[in-house]
Amino acid sequence: MRRTALAVAIAGCVTVIAPARADDEPGTGPSAVEEPSSADEEPKGDREFGPLLVIERIDITGNTATLDEVIRRAVPIAPGDMLRASDKRLTEARFKVLALGYFRDVGLAMHKGSRRGHVIVEVHVVERGTVVLNRLWFGTNSLTPYWVGADVGERNLLGLGIGLGGGFIYAAHGDVDGSRAQWATELRLSDPSLLGSRFGANVAGTIVRGSEAYRIAGTDGTPALRELRAFPYRRFGVRANLTYDADALTRLSAGVRLEQISTELPVAPTLLLPDQRVTAIDLHLDPGTSYVITAGLSYDRDTRPDPILPHAGAHLAFAAELGSPLVGSDYQFATLFGRYEHYWPKYRGRHAIALKIAGGVVIGDAPRFDRIHLADVNRMLTPRAMGMVLSTAAPLALLQTRPDKPTYGDLGGAITVEYAMRLFRGKGENRVYGGDLFLGAGVWGLAENIDLRARDATTWSSLPIDVYIDAGIRFDTDVGIFEITLANGLGRLR
Amino acid sequence: MKAAAVVVALCILGGAAWADDDTPELQRMRFVERGDALTVSTKISQLFDNPAYNALDSGFTSTVVIRVWVYPKDSTAPISFVLLRRQVVYNLWDETYELRFDEPSGRRDFKEKRKSEALRVLTSLDDLPIARLSVIPHEQIFLLAVQVELNPVSRETLAAVRRWLTQGQGGGLDRGGAFFGSFVSVFVNPKIPEADRVVRLRSQPFFRPTP
Repeated sequence: MRRTALAVAIAGCVTVIAPARADDEPGTGPSAVEEPSSADEEPKGDREFGPLLVIERIDITGNTATLDEVIRRAVPIAPGDMLRASDKRLTEARFKVLALGYFRDVGLAMHKGSRRGHVIVEVHVVERGTVVLNRLWFGTNSLTPYWVGADVGERNLLGLGIGLGGGFIYAAHGDVDGSRAQWATELRLSDPSLLGSRFGANVAGTIVRGSEAYRIAGTDGTPALRELRAFPYRRFGVRANLTYDADALTRLSAGVRLEQISTELPVAPTLLLPDQRVTAIDLHLDPGTSYVITAGLSYDRDTRPDPILPHAGAHLAFAAELGSPLVGSDYQFATLFGRYEHYWPKYRGRHAIALKIAGGVVIGDAPRFDRIHLADVNRMLTPRAMGMVLSTAAPLALLQTRPDKPTYGDLGGAITVEYAMRLFRGKGENRVYGGDLFLGAGVWGLAENIDLRARDATTWSSLPIDVYIDAGIRFDTDVGIFEITLANGLGRLR
Repeated sequence: MKAAAVVVALCILGGAAWADDDTPELQRMRFVERGDALTVSTKISQLFDNPAYNALDSGFTSTVVIRVWVYPKDSTAPISFVLLRRQVVYNLWDETYELRFDEPSGRRDFKEKRKSEALRVLTSLDDLPIARLSVIPHEQIFLLAVQVELNPVSRETLAAVRRWLTQGQGGGLDRGGAFFGSFVSVFVNPKIPEADRVVRLRSQPFFRPTP
């Protein structure tokens, strides 16, 4: 090859001719370069690389609580398999075991077997605590002076790979006639992979001793306590699901629910309107004891590389549930919920724009608790906890649309656009993986069937929609996700 | 007050973690015109720490993915991009290191007897063509950025590993609210890095003098 004279200047020359500016320093430049699309196209490797190996044995070491068999089922190779050293199954084995979630680290080693070409694969695991805190509830407002609760779980019960979890929440009651302290508890059992197969199963039992407040006077804004009444109820339900992992990112499930609702409803609940008219209200529950028996299907596909601080990928989910007297239910209804989120990375993934759409429709005579609650669609309100309503705060009227938005509805949803900016990313050496600053705004809506049939005001002032905003910081740490946001704060204090 | 304390604590944690963030390291590189191409030579020896070096003879494949960009000093739009993939695996029985290099010029399979030599070839860029001379005007100043990943993990694998976090243990009666909830709530949170190690380098500014 012909070698020309060194015709390109090296560092010193440039420094003399064009003194470096501040932006010449490391930390700028490359990280801001828009990566060509071809950068994502890695050269295709194949399985023909490296020596041909026969797996003679797989040794599991380091585990004290987890059964060998649980780990062995996760490893995508087995004794007798013949494969190249670069085979994808070997490179993925570590991640398959890590994905169980029971180990802090997983290491693989290969040793010579008894014959040439035969190898022994050693899987060394470092176990971690598998008792986890899934959720915390706390807050205060005038309806519920305080509520406190937690949900904990053991993800690897007795080393069997079975999850056991449960939660308890207690909510004190305020000065609303008919109200009482509320509490709820739940117990869950799950096996994400039955005998190492793609099928999984889970079952959950829930007891709620609740007190539901409803409005007896006025229509607009947050009701005063004297404008509320409450009725007691008790729910006891069991939900069981069978799941199937169609692929690593897609899960299908089918399940049934059996629930008993016991309540002492007021004989004829009414609402006193501002013009002194009195109208009957429907609390959407059968008096006394009633039963809800349903069957449901759901689909979930999540392609986000990082579901905690997502900057790319998409998440699609659907769930449908049907209750019918044909199977013994006192309520004939169907619900359909859908949710889609898409993230577009910007500036080499440092920023992201997200579109989030979530909505649902309730058809028929659904029990009150299966209908869409205001706080389901408006993040600036206190969310329900284990099905219990903890606040009767009205949503902020930012658009001056319909002032008396319903608390429960048959058709509801929200569309949100969110901009997230990466604050930092770490390797977890300081127990923090990353942080994002985000700003989101959206439109939410909640309507009852009757709203869709008739109206007695202008279109704008009848629209059961409004907007909400949220902004804050999210931190991804090795002990959990912390979100400090405007909506989160409002949801604990209103 | 408590909320403010939490914010301050998290910001301190965040600030500490900031040190983990990716900032390119300035490294002197050698640029040479060869034929109608500009070539670069440099070393990426900082990619392998002790555990990574020891893993070279584990019998499992080690993969190095190298991305190289050339871009004008006053712009962020690259004029050239090169992608290299290098793999090495130790043959336990033959006691040799088998290497495979996928480069724009094609695929190369070869063997090395010594571990140190395998490391050297994995982490060296020797007269690597990075751009055609026709796209590099005389007197214009350019920079070269290199990102090197050791054992990168595909996005799909990352998604699959982290997915278990968001798969709860099944829901109870509060299905609707949980379905609308937009944020996952998990408190055991191991994170798989996108690669065992990532090195980001940036060259000194360079230009082609007018002949």
